[in-house]
Amino acid sequence: MGESNRGDILTVSNLHHTYLQGTPLAQPALFGVNLVIPAGSCVAIIGHTGSGKSTLIQHFNGLLRPQMGEVVVNGARLSNPQVDIRAIRQQVGLVFQNPEDQIFERLVGDDIAYGPLKQGIPLSEVVQRAKWAMGVVGLDFDEMKNRSTFAMSGGEKRKVALAGVLVLRPQILVLDEPTAGLDPRSRRDLLRRIRDLNRSEGLTVVFVSHNMEEVAYLADTVYVLAAGHIAFHGTPRELFGALDERPDLQVGAPPGVEILRALHSRGYHVDTTRFTVPEVAEEVAAAASGQRGPAAAAEPPSGDLSAPPTAWEGPAHRREPDGRHPHAHAEDRGDAHGR
Amino acid sequence: MAGDFELTRNITIGQYLPTGSVIHRMDPRLKLLAAALWILSISLCHTYLGNVAGLCVCLALFALARIPLSYGLSGLKPAIPFILILAILQLLFYGNGYGPSGQVYFHWGILRITSASVRVVVVSTLRFVEIIFAVSVLTLSTSITELTHGVEGLLRPLGRMKVPVHAFALIVTIAVRFVPTFAMEMEKMMKAQASRGAEFGTGSWWNIARRTRDVFPLIIPLFNTALVRAEELALAMEARGYVPGQARTAYRRYRAGGRDIVMFLAGMALSAALVFAPFPF
Ligand SMILES: Nc1ncnc2c1ncn2[C@@H]1O[C@H](COP(=O)(O)OP(=O)(O)OP(=O)(O)O)[C@@H](O)[C@H]1O
Ligand SMILES: [Mg+2]
Repeated sequence: MGESNRGDILTVSNLHHTYLQGTPLAQPALFGVNLVIPAGSCVAIIGHTGSGKSTLIQHFNGLLRPQMGEVVVNGARLSNPQVDIRAIRQQVGLVFQNPEDQIFERLVGDDIAYGPLKQGIPLSEVVQRAKWAMGVVGLDFDEMKNRSTFAMSGGEKRKVALAGVLVLRPQILVLDEPTAGLDPRSRRDLLRRIRDLNRSEGLTVVFVSHNMEEVAYLADTVYVLAAGHIAFHGTPRELFGALDERPDLQVGAPPGVEILRALHSRGYHVDTTRFTVPEVAEEVAAAASGQRGPAAAAEPPSGDLSAPPTAWEGPAHRREPDGRHPHAHAEDRGDAHGR
Repeated sequence: MAGDFELTRNITIGQYLPTGSVIHRMDPRLKLLAAALWILSISLCHTYLGNVAGLCVCLALFALARIPLSYGLSGLKPAIPFILILAILQLLFYGNGYGPSGQVYFHWGILRITSASVRVVVVSTLRFVEIIFAVSVLTLSTSITELTHGVEGLLRPLGRMKVPVHAFALIVTIAVRFVPTFAMEMEKMMKAQASRGAEFGTGSWWNIARRTRDVFPLIIPLFNTALVRAEELALAMEARGYVPGQARTAYRRYRAGGRDIVMFLAGMALSAALVFAPFPF
């Protein structure tokens, strides 16, 4: 896992971290984490509270330096004290949990432009970038740039904070619980925009989440952290399929999967490994039309919907990074690296 | 200083390290009183030997409280610049202020270093260290609740003179309690702003305007969250039935037992010894 692949934009190998090291309050948080982020992918990091997710992602842009192990971003080793940390922070845009707290300028435009102006980028280009960033998050530039930051809703503030990081033009966007505390509409809107950034702008996205629906909607790879270890690593499909055998992960299934399981336990022959909303809808429709009801259980299922799971290639919209199949295996099974 | 955001590391004020030692279990009122007397006697002691003895007692307190000494030392670290500046100023200028007392070691222009000024420097440095150690042991071994009860218990006599003792104790408690919280918040804010290109402490020290502007992204959000937090705290207290100025009973009643009194008397004896013992130099 230590070797870095050409398509990988960020690799973490054998990373350890202890908070307040060398004091009586020392608090170990990470124990030998390995993780690979291929360029263009959308990776979810999930895990129980206190499992070390926030600690891990703060290593991605050098806010925390490796105490042991290594973090490599675009070939730069972050354990090297000489590394240009400003360049790393520009390449890896990190958005903290509740980022609306960090807004400090009076006007929205000024706050978004803070980072690039700080880097000495000419004003005309900063304006161009701010326009782009605000457009991406869904804020109208002309209308919003002179709005007061204190007279905004929580959802709008979060968009401003997100734009304030996107304006740095990062190659990797790292988000810590981006939708926590948002209302359902703002949440859906934000998720769609993050997904567009990943799928159409080609931005690599890493996000921390407690919400399996979000994971199902966005991620092509999932890492499950438990007590500072990577306890599972694979596609969302593999994760949701493995939940029964892995209660130790303390991960719940998205509602769609729960529905399919409930149908399954009532004798419907639905494919419980499908999890996105369109997939679940297909399964439910098939069950409702009687094709796979308990009565029809004896007949061999027909049509492409019943294709065995091994032939399943995922829905068309699910873009695989660099055309490769996302490497997928559970760490604990000790599989060889899939590539 | 890139990458160094662990502010909480050096803040020992307001932190509590439960080890269950005899110091921890001492009645908070007597502990506070003993600590106050001890600090007073440290400030009154001006002999070399007396201060060395005082330092030894402070170190023994760490052992007695089962708090690692490294913890006290890390509390000392942020104070080092103050101690140094104070020492240098005293060394350079104290010799003049009090006339030609003692032997003159060095004299150049208005600078005069005498045996009296050397004594002042050494003694005040030792005092500083002793007091920081003593306060560290006190705060590390006393939880916030105990501290409030201690302050309130000691100030109770003033209550008869219409001094709002309880409110005062509460203000002190809240202030101390939130020091680590704000350090955490500050740490998070520094990280968040650094993630979008901010830099702290990189400007030249003489460029005060720039350095001041550099901290705006920290100070403004911090004020904001502090005000929000204060409002939430007030609401939470009222929601749980807190009424300012109303008589309150305590969940835990502190009663000084025999062991507390013995320890307090031992503390008084040590304090008195430090002030009145005839240390030869
Ligand atoms: N600044 C800090 N100082 C000391 N310990 C810390 C600090 N931040 C986190 N920890 C500890 O490190 C461990 C991992 O914390 P972390 O914040 O990474 O968890 P998390 O997975 O992000 O949890 P959550 O889902 O609640 O955000 C926890 O046990 C926590 O108590
Ligand atoms: Mg977290």
